Amino acid sequence: MNTKIFRKSDAILIAAVIVIAAACILIFKLSYSGSGDFALITVDGEEYAELPLSDDAELDIVSPCGINHLVIQSGEVYVSHADCPNQVCVNTGKISEEGELIVCLPHKVVITIESK
Amino acid sequence: MKKTISFTLAAVLIASLLCGCSPKEKRFQATYLDLFDTVTVIAGYERDKDTFDSNAAMIYRELSVYNQLFDIYNNYDGISNIKTVNDNAGIAPVKVDEKIIDLLEFSKAAYDLTSGQVNVAMGSVLRIWHEAREYGAEHPESAYLPDKAALFEASKHTDIQNIVTDRSAGTVFLPDSSMSIDVGAVGKGYAAQAICSSLKSEGISGYTVSIGGNVCTLGKKPDGTQWSVGVSDPEDASSPLLTLGVSDLSVVTSGSYQRFYTVDGAKYHHIIDPDTLYPSSQWLSVTVISPDSSLADVLSTALFNMDENTGRELIESLPDTEAMWIDADGNTDFSSGFEDFILKD
Repeated sequence: MNTKIFRKSDAILIAAVIVIAAACILIFKLSYSGSGDFALITVDGEEYAELPLSDDAELDIVSPCGINHLVIQSGEVYVSHADCPNQVCVNTGKISEEGELIVCLPHKVVITIESK
Repeated sequence: MKKTISFTLAAVLIASLLCGCSPKEKRFQATYLDLFDTVTVIAGYERDKDTFDSNAAMIYRELSVYNQLFDIYNNYDGISNIKTVNDNAGIAPVKVDEKIIDLLEFSKAAYDLTSGQVNVAMGSVLRIWHEAREYGAEHPESAYLPDKAALFEASKHTDIQNIVTDRSAGTVFLPDSSMSIDVGAVGKGYAAQAICSSLKSEGISGYTVSIGGNVCTLGKKPDGTQWSVGVSDPEDASSPLLTLGVSDLSVVTSGSYQRFYTVDGAKYHHIIDPDTLYPSSQWLSVTVISPDSSLADVLSTALFNMDENTGRELIESLPDTEAMWIDADGNTDFSSGFEDFILKD
């Protein structure tokens, strides 16, 4: 009569389940993040540029109607100056999270935060 | 036997772990600049981008139909819209899509509800301001104010009863050649309401549609929490003045701080008081919460043109409707139930 309660095969099975569970948790955490990875700029609905939030940068967004000057600094994005009449884009301030956006309607510029 | 049981249990355990691992709904967003001359943002929670993209495209297509029908500045091939009606003022009735007749009948009811503070027949006055504003935006150095006499003359052609709709014939006629329809105060809310109620009846939940600050929400987020809708600080656009928690409700804000032009250092915005024929000056912004986006849009404009007592009386007389006012000094005031929606940090 073999009454061993705990066999080697049981240990292997338990270890395998733990490894799979840990892998699942890791995959899940990596695939879902709230903060974004890059700034997406479109002009009149067409993609104009994509800039990673991880690198500080500055860019002139040149549209047929004028210029919006974009700044990426410390993971935040903002329009420092623009030649549109009402400066709504400048007044919006800094964005850094998915879902936030800066719009310059006269220049048809939209800046959003996206993640891969 | 024991081996079978333990392997079965292990398989069930692993299967349930893997199911728990599959990504839950993620938030997606689409932005459009070519609807109702403003920014439209569609946001929704879906398991995959393809499903969201297809829903967003469908919403965009439906909103485009309303955008083209309600447009007063552009003609579209094969479509008779409100611009067509205006172009035929004093000439002939125009056969239009029933949606336009529905909107105009709604607008007449809105006129009565708001004692004339929302009047889609004010096109002749609004056109003068629109031209001055567009010119002033392009040429700030030579921006001008409309001629007072011209505004007064135009105001003689703003009787909403002179919009003649014939539902059985499917036509709209403006017998007065100097009259024109401008649905800027009601069009966004009306379209948003039409789309959101249609999506709701299809069982769609977990989406928001914002047309230039006219927000309708469908259900809640997948995790059961409410949507957070910010109310802008008119004097500091970089962070919201307050945030509202809503589900299945619309939040509509009328404000003076984005669409304006400047003459000799003074700002002139786009919400024209029917009584003075000049931009309303009491409020920087009015926000209305209501289950009906079209009503919320009407009320936000109406309250913008009314003093607080009159506006409050109107709001309190309507069920499930709340409002907040921000005056020119930045003071805020709320209707009796508005604060229940404010999210505390």
